[in-house]
Amino acid sequence: MATVVVARPALRPTPRARDEEVLVWPDLVFVEFISALLFTALLFLLSYLMNAPLLDEANANVTNDPAKAPWYLLNLQELLLHMNAALAGIVVPTAWLIILMVFPYFDRETEGQGRWFAEVNSVKNTVVSLMVGFWGTLALILWNSGKVALWLKDWFGFSGGDTLAFLERSAALKDPSIVPWPSWADSIPYLWFNLKILDEGPGAGVTTFQKIDLPTLLVDIGIPAGFMVGFSCLLIFGFWRIGWVLTRRDALITLMSGFVGAFLMLTIIGTAFRGPGQDLIWPWDLRTLEGIPGQESH
Amino acid sequence: MAVEQPSQPTIGDLIYDKLFHNYVWRSIFRTGYPNTPRNQMLVVATNVFLHLHPTRIHRTHVKITHTYCLGGLTFFMFLGLTVTGILLMFYYVPSVDRAYLDIQNIQTNVQFGQLMRNMHRWMAHAMVILVFLHMLRVFYTGAYKPPREFNWVVGVVLLVLTFLLSFTGYLLPWDQLAFWAITVGTNIAGSAPVLGPKTRFWLLGGFEVGPDALIRFYTLHVIGLPLLAAIFMAVHFWRIRRDGGLARPL
Ligand code: HEM
Repeated sequence: MATVVVARPALRPTPRARDEEVLVWPDLVFVEFISALLFTALLFLLSYLMNAPLLDEANANVTNDPAKAPWYLLNLQELLLHMNAALAGIVVPTAWLIILMVFPYFDRETEGQGRWFAEVNSVKNTVVSLMVGFWGTLALILWNSGKVALWLKDWFGFSGGDTLAFLERSAALKDPSIVPWPSWADSIPYLWFNLKILDEGPGAGVTTFQKIDLPTLLVDIGIPAGFMVGFSCLLIFGFWRIGWVLTRRDALITLMSGFVGAFLMLTIIGTAFRGPGQDLIWPWDLRTLEGIPGQESH
Repeated sequence: MAVEQPSQPTIGDLIYDKLFHNYVWRSIFRTGYPNTPRNQMLVVATNVFLHLHPTRIHRTHVKITHTYCLGGLTFFMFLGLTVTGILLMFYYVPSVDRAYLDIQNIQTNVQFGQLMRNMHRWMAHAMVILVFLHMLRVFYTGAYKPPREFNWVVGVVLLVLTFLLSFTGYLLPWDQLAFWAITVGTNIAGSAPVLGPKTRFWLLGGFEVGPDALIRFYTLHVIGLPLLAAIFMAVHFWRIRRDGGLARPL
């Protein structure tokens, strides 16, 4: 009598739990199909209810006020109002994209993957970081647009006068009457020849002197960069002290969640709360909002 | 020993046999209708589109709450945008004399033109939102961890490509919204130290948003960027399979 023995390797390199697996058809294909169908239906409905905006024909001589970038860039446009253009428009997004790409090389722990919020404190960590990023950004925007000073004055009759003008706008710190900058500080030469790429565009002439404006540099780059880097570090450090951040993964959660909060707030303010002249206004005072029926000006 | 007797075929079985076991069906799909585990696996393995998937996956990954289908839906938006985009291309000419009129024409004179334009617009917004949410899903499930480091990097590139695709499309209607949005947007790029003005000039084909900018944005929007995005998506999907499917607890 022959016994058939099914050959089985004693040890598999990676045990695959076959019992835990389901077939892609029908289980996954079904889910994909339903969600695709659902989204198609939703988008048809949206397209039926709301027309894509079309304003007057493009005209370089008639400025759209407020002129706004697409909504997903309005966070950057909002940042631009508060700091040096290159810092807000280029350095911050580039740095953030590089930081994002470096995430998996910084946190190489394989533990805790494939599960939502697998770490001990990750939910707390996420929610609080998100809130800090969200409301902290709002506080900074209100401060730098002079709203905080205005309210202090309106509600408490508190007025700092000129010496406390930086409570209204950080830009006031550039003023020599507030900070005693030496007279040479705003024109420190650093380039004595004409570097062509630095000097291009309509009206460009021969550059003989390129100068650094130190107060502007400090106020428009130093302060905001300090806030962005400093707050992130402070938050992570604080969470480390109270034991919420134990691993690199936890630190990344703090960073990412804080970013998402700030990103959301910047986008919301830039989209709904900036009116003509980029002044802070209420959304219902805003005229040309994309896609709101009846609000497209023709 | 009881031997199971084959039951008499019902009328349903006969119709089924005629429909799915005939010569033509077999020439297209090779397998019968996927109603047995064997056929279900074969259909996934032999169909080029379904073959993006493995034949079986871990049961936690079919739970909606694990991925919320966000990556898949982003891809679905990309496909939908391709379809509606091709339809819009039939009527749209990227010249400053015609662009705006063509859009008006699409909205008023073309059958379902307004619908196609709306779909294209809202799908584009949806794709930007979905790709962002997909990134958050991947992050909060810790799915970027080894061995998926590189696929996360590919993902970041896809995120940027999605933004660029949407941004280049924004100019095409050639209305005030488009013109000033792109003016503001490219001014942001132009503010870069040293290389900024050059970059802006290169993007716009001039110092201002004009005919050259329109044709550049159009070309990038309809062929350059979609091609790049498709290549990176192919790598993205391939890597998901190579890295052992979706991440799950070790
Ligand atoms: C056009 C953009 C993108 C498309 C079409 C896309 C598509 C997909 C799909 C279909 C999956 C399978 C699981 C799922 O649906 O969640 C997936 C997984 C994944 N995606 Fe994306 N994705 C895109 C962008 C991104 C971005 C921006 C990131 C991150 C920065 C990213 C990182 C990943 C990673 C790491 C996985 C593996 C997840 C896991 O193992 O659980 N992808 N992607």
